[in-house]
Amino acid sequence: MSVVAIPTLGVDAGSREVKLAVSDGREVVFKASMDTIKFYIELKSDGADLDINKLNALGHAPKYERLVSTGYGRNNVKIEGGVSIPEIDAHVSGALFQTGLTDFTLVDLGGQDTKVVSVKGGMVDDFVMNDKCAAGSGRYLENIAHALDVSLSRLGDCHDDPAPLSNMCATFGESEVIELVSEGVEVEKILAGANRSVVLRLLPMVVKFRPKVIVATGGVAKNRAIREMLAEETGVTVIVPGDPQLNGAIGCCLS
Amino acid sequence: MARIGITTTVPSEIIFAAGSVPVDLNNIFITDINRSAYFEQAEVDGFPRPLCGWIKGMYSACLDHKISEVIAVTQGDCSNTHVLMEIYRMRGVKTVAFNFPYGRDPAMMKRSIELLREYFGVDEPAVEAMRVRLNRVRAKLGVIDRMTWRDGVVTGFENHLLLVSSSDFESDPDTFEVKLDRFIIEAGQREPMEQSVRLGLIGIPPILDGLYPYIEEHGARVVYNEVQRQFTMPFGGETLAEQYLKYTYPYDIGPRIDDINEQISTRSIDGIIHYVQSFCHRQMEDMIFRERIDVPILTIEGDSPRPVDARARIRLESFIRMITRRKGAVA
Repeated sequence: MSVVAIPTLGVDAGSREVKLAVSDGREVVFKASMDTIKFYIELKSDGADLDINKLNALGHAPKYERLVSTGYGRNNVKIEGGVSIPEIDAHVSGALFQTGLTDFTLVDLGGQDTKVVSVKGGMVDDFVMNDKCAAGSGRYLENIAHALDVSLSRLGDCHDDPAPLSNMCATFGESEVIELVSEGVEVEKILAGANRSVVLRLLPMVVKFRPKVIVATGGVAKNRAIREMLAEETGVTVIVPGDPQLNGAIGCCLS
Repeated sequence: MARIGITTTVPSEIIFAAGSVPVDLNNIFITDINRSAYFEQAEVDGFPRPLCGWIKGMYSACLDHKISEVIAVTQGDCSNTHVLMEIYRMRGVKTVAFNFPYGRDPAMMKRSIELLREYFGVDEPAVEAMRVRLNRVRAKLGVIDRMTWRDGVVTGFENHLLLVSSSDFESDPDTFEVKLDRFIIEAGQREPMEQSVRLGLIGIPPILDGLYPYIEEHGARVVYNEVQRQFTMPFGGETLAEQYLKYTYPYDIGPRIDDINEQISTRSIDGIIHYVQSFCHRQMEDMIFRERIDVPILTIEGDSPRPVDARARIRLESFIRMITRRKGAVA
């Protein structure tokens, strides 16, 4: 992969968090992330171009000369002095850099979006994204963890004896959980059930590409149980790069 | 002159020959300034939220436009339409049945047409004369289609809008034909468009706004609207029954896929966008298309009449970019 040696700020304006990464053109030298709502409030978005240099989170960042952005945000607001690239390109670029692999199936598990991309010879060969529903996304897991008052890291430890949960709807998922609690089902099993429902939602999108190796990115990739279930169901190795959540921003700053 | 509502393409030759005019309820819904209100009104009246948006729109548009008679397609369309007909009747709208025989049986098709002809009280020669008349208009839509994919002077949206109108000929074939004549002259003077990526749009006509312009802004254009082209009866036929048997849409998917694959080759199509309607049984067809079509396919889902959302935009942009790179790699 060719890397342009110009110090670059990469911005991945996601649905839940805005991720920032600065490269010197070869290596990533700065990383940060912040809440999406706070990002827009801090920059006083009025629909006009945002001046990203005013962002406090970038106060200690090294100097950059160009800016590359991706994510939902870029379709609604332009970032001053920046160019934007599609999310698929940003995430593939980040995964190529972070793993050094050129042939893999990328599974990006974001806050509201799931992307599965078949990468061959370092290029996008085909991709699918989830349908219009947050069930099976990071937001769904957050809702479940919130309903059961547990941390996301504890959720990620729950793998065994999953309670049967439908994966129909992120919102009604909560009431399903409450019902299971009222029936006396152990919390660990309910959490394992939530993890499993995410994997079941993901599986049809992944198997169609007949993966040989899976690279998992996005916040949900930090969930150990989901990684393990995905590896068990597909029979292939699941690799998680060092910064799964910052993968899109890293891809931007090295694009 | 009685206005007869239709929910999908039916032999409009019979309606015109009877001195009535067909009104495609889909078209009066989607082109109405109140289309969002139509959609919402149907839900207020009790239509379930998880239900095809076209059904909701047709329900309200029919009542609002005071259409008092509708042709109910009881084979070759969806089960939602069947119940829509029951609801129309409950609201005082008269309905008459028409079948596209699933197995493409010529005798059954002939009988279906006879029943509709008898209902409207018209004889065969009058219907045949109308078929010849309407096929002249359809031939002009064929010219516009060629100007889209071969000459590159007609946009994908213009192609969609004009071809989709051949279900009811905008209720007036003479005026519609004049409109087409003028359009052909005007478009013939244009410079060809420059987008290098050539896409086909398959599946039911999209309910979303701004799909075609968005595609064009990103370096691609639609050179094939599958179902809209089928509405123009591109295969013709010696008789009315034969013509409506060659029409691919109401029957099994095999001939549809053959037609799509042939057009992918003829029109040098780089990728297919499969538009699916939320809650439509036709979403399942995606499985079959993905196995039997060799160019890349992107599936885009729409629910209600509104602009293409951020999710669909991201997908379209990435899809076009992927095809552009593939083309670059091959070239």
